Amino acid sequence: MAVYKADAIVIRSREYGESDRLVTLFSREHGKLEAIAKGVRKPKSTQRGGTQLFTYADFLLYKGKSLDIVTQAQPKESFSHLWEDFDRTIAASGMAELLDISTTREQPEPELFTLTLSFFFMLKHLDPYIAQAAYALKLMDFEGYLPVMDSCFQCAKDLEGEYAFLSTEAGGFLCSVCKNNQIVKPFSPGSMAFIRQLGKVDFKKLDRLRWNKKMREEILEGLGFFCEEKFERKLQAWRQGRELWKD
Amino acid sequence: MDFMYYPQPLSDLIIAFSRLPGIGPKTASRLAFYLLRHSEEAQQLSDAIATALRDIKQCTVCGNYTDTDPCKICTGERRDKSLLCVVEQPRDVVVLEKTGEYRGLYHVLQGVLSPMEGIGPDQLNLSSLFNRLEGVKEVVLAVNPSVEGEATALYLAKLLKPMGVKVTRLAHGLPVGGDLEYADEVTIARALEGRREL
Repeated sequence: MAVYKADAIVIRSREYGESDRLVTLFSREHGKLEAIAKGVRKPKSTQRGGTQLFTYADFLLYKGKSLDIVTQAQPKESFSHLWEDFDRTIAASGMAELLDISTTREQPEPELFTLTLSFFFMLKHLDPYIAQAAYALKLMDFEGYLPVMDSCFQCAKDLEGEYAFLSTEAGGFLCSVCKNNQIVKPFSPGSMAFIRQLGKVDFKKLDRLRWNKKMREEILEGLGFFCEEKFERKLQAWRQGRELWKD
Repeated sequence: MDFMYYPQPLSDLIIAFSRLPGIGPKTASRLAFYLLRHSEEAQQLSDAIATALRDIKQCTVCGNYTDTDPCKICTGERRDKSLLCVVEQPRDVVVLEKTGEYRGLYHVLQGVLSPMEGIGPDQLNLSSLFNRLEGVKEVVLAVNPSVEGEATALYLAKLLKPMGVKVTRLAHGLPVGGDLEYADEVTIARALEGRREL
């Protein structure tokens, strides 16, 4: 299989050498791939459009010794809304980064591909950070890390109307008694009610959900912390996002 | 790991070359052996590196590399001081200067916002930009038309506009000699938006 096709989204793109880009693709057929796109930073490159970050394209790749080489990249959707709005760029970066750290190379996960593609389309109309949080919950569900949200993970106490504490050590939410000395992220009763709803809601109804600044900060900080601990990698875009909301 | 069999100073030289971008161990060995055979060129290279490291610094006004602080562009008498062009890298200043079309001042960010690589506003040369807006009527954002470049432009525009300064962006469109067939939809859409009457 020296040359192969991939129906893929560019989830990471870094400058490499004089005029190349090192791209991370998430494909429907082969899962996550890393490849060199040669000469794509030159204005006349015919593959420039297809190798931009967040672009969904038909790729033709050549199997290299260490890294594959992009030989063709025909864009199908450029997601211009992700370029034209700063908050949407940050949210899409958060989703792409989470997908990158939670998956291993060449391990096909077509459901995650479809999920990511759907969310990139939905980002056009949704509150970008609600979409980011919903995507994180769905991805954790796929990977088997979705925390139990209705009751305390240790004593099974109903958490409705109470402060809850997300713990990676416990793998879910804890009540104020069970949290003890564990490293946790607090969720107010409002944030708990919202995240429960977010975990259950049909994607078509995501646009009906509303949150306030405090809920957004608690939920995204809590989910970012939980994912970083679970996947043992830093989520740079999530951290940057938190810094930029303060402005 | 061949360099381990060489004398220490030679293996140090090979390792130093191989740390440079785009240079692998084979090329590093080739360069090291070449310099050993051509001592005069090696001395010139060594002197040039030492001089550049000693004399080149970042301009405290614009962030460009310079041997005089402030740099010659920032102090240029004939420069239009009401126009400020924001670029990513010092190399971009040279590209714009070569056109001969721009006579304003520059501000070099030394990068762009890249959330996934952990590059935020604090890692860029931004604070000095907001301190030098007195007398500036227009800020031209000449960052690259990539996702990161657009994010940086949007972020800067959000902060600059309330300060009463006109913010413009370099036009997007088809490259000279490019082929419409190979252009992506974002480029074509922007080229259509920016079309001009002939």
